[in-house]
Amino acid sequence: TVRPKNEVEQKQLCAFGEYVAEILPKYIQQVQVTCFNELELLIHPDGIIPVLTFLRDHTNAQFKSLADLTAVDVPSRQYRFEIVYNLLSLRFNSRIRVKTYTDELTPIDSAVSVHKAANWYEREVWDMYGVFFANHPDLRRILTDYGFEGHPFRKDFPLSGYVEV
Amino acid sequence: MFMFPVQTTGLVGLAVAGNPHERLRILYTKILSVLQTIPKDAAYRKYTEQIVNQRFNLVQTETDVQKLQDKLNSGHIEEVIVQAENELSLARKMVQWKPWEPLVEEPPSDQWRWPI
Repeated sequence: TVRPKNEVEQKQLCAFGEYVAEILPKYIQQVQVTCFNELELLIHPDGIIPVLTFLRDHTNAQFKSLADLTAVDVPSRQYRFEIVYNLLSLRFNSRIRVKTYTDELTPIDSAVSVHKAANWYEREVWDMYGVFFANHPDLRRILTDYGFEGHPFRKDFPLSGYVEV
Repeated sequence: MFMFPVQTTGLVGLAVAGNPHERLRILYTKILSVLQTIPKDAAYRKYTEQIVNQRFNLVQTETDVQKLQDKLNSGHIEEVIVQAENELSLARKMVQWKPWEPLVEEPPSDQWRWPI
């Protein structure tokens, strides 16, 4: 069976995406709605804190809950890491995805000042990908072993690692 | 305590607000005064003034708390107060960030292409 297309929700998400893009043209590079009705905002990395604060505090967009913070590694790009924030609005029962980009050496602003939940997620992204978060209260390894060298989730890290255990 | 229409909001950490109309009136006037400082053609100013004026009118015309909650259709009146405080702090931050300016920097052409 195929999921039925929900045109109403698609239109609402498109309208909301245009609304946010009109309010924040300084940081939003692109807005897209997937065929599964998921709204995505593609941001310049300088605009993380303004966009996340706007989405959390504005009356029409009360995305108070940070559901997930991950990174995607695409080594062929100039800015290889794509940081993804998934937000949930409890008031309006709707989700939104905010994506930014960075490379191995450029730090990105920490979202901890906006959402406390981002603390361990950012530690995980640092540990697994090597993306440095500026102004993070406590950025250290969280999943790898204590003396571990390397960032395992990068695409150029081999499956069984460099050290024999 | 028996003067309040309800004893508790039912939400953890949110006390019942004494005189919510006054508090909302103060908050909305503060938000509007902060919005005056940003350029008139900014979309943020336009939409936020619309929302704030709409809520302000409802607060001024409706004196009964329960009916005001139903008309605003945004949860408890205490939650509306918290939301107004958030909007005020956001407006103050927006004055510094100035998000109505044109795009800071275009992404590289292959950055958002998917599939690669």
